[in-house]
Amino acid sequence: MKRDLVIKWHFPHPVEKVWKCLTDPELVSQWLMKNDFQPIVGHKFNFHTKPIPKMSFDGIVYCEVLEIVPNKKLVYTWKGGPQPGVVGLDTLLTWTLTPDGDGTRMVLEHSGFKGWKNYLASIFMESGWKKGISRRLTEVLTEMK
Amino acid sequence: MKTTADTFQAIADPSRREILMLLTKDRYSINALASNFDMSRPAVSKHVKVLYEAGLILIRDQGRERYCELKPDGFDQIKSWMAFFEQFWREKLQNLENLLNQQAKGQKLN
Repeated sequence: MKRDLVIKWHFPHPVEKVWKCLTDPELVSQWLMKNDFQPIVGHKFNFHTKPIPKMSFDGIVYCEVLEIVPNKKLVYTWKGGPQPGVVGLDTLLTWTLTPDGDGTRMVLEHSGFKGWKNYLASIFMESGWKKGISRRLTEVLTEMK
Repeated sequence: MKTTADTFQAIADPSRREILMLLTKDRYSINALASNFDMSRPAVSKHVKVLYEAGLILIRDQGRERYCELKPDGFDQIKSWMAFFEQFWREKLQNLENLLNQQAKGQKLN
């Protein structure tokens, strides 16, 4: 089964402009989501959006910057779950920019969709897992790594 | 109807978690599973039965062997996440394109 999502896009704008929109937190919030991103490797930040209970997602995306190559490449983790401390979605975002004449080619790779942990988290959450037991689930999922 | 306790008990056991992890890679016969663990075939059979009853795996008879595989329904979650994000990113990248277009227009006006 395919576990990576690859989306290609072309912008009729120079890479510098596109890069700025990927790395300026104010600009990012205008097209993506509210965030406290900083272009520093190791910086941990969150995105905030509406919860999606059906997907066991509480609306907070937990991220950490892993790689920055100005105007070329940006990599950060993209994690989320039904509640703080329980990770159902443990994925990676890789943004790659390439100049193309006056424009920019972008490749967005959203990778690492691992079904197993997501699945276990979801079945527990969907079945009305009690709060006190979620700690045990977290332990189990941590052990499974 | 399965209870959460069944599923939790099913994965609470380290041997059963290992069996599940093996099955994420490929399907295995019960004999093949037994050869991966320091356990007797009946002991493995017992674990397999618990996983089967919790709805986590399928068992198919093929010739003289019983093959275990992960129940595909379990992977609906990945599919739904990927479908969700496919749509999500296309919308967001369209937003980004609109934002860049606005910026470019603003610059020309200035």
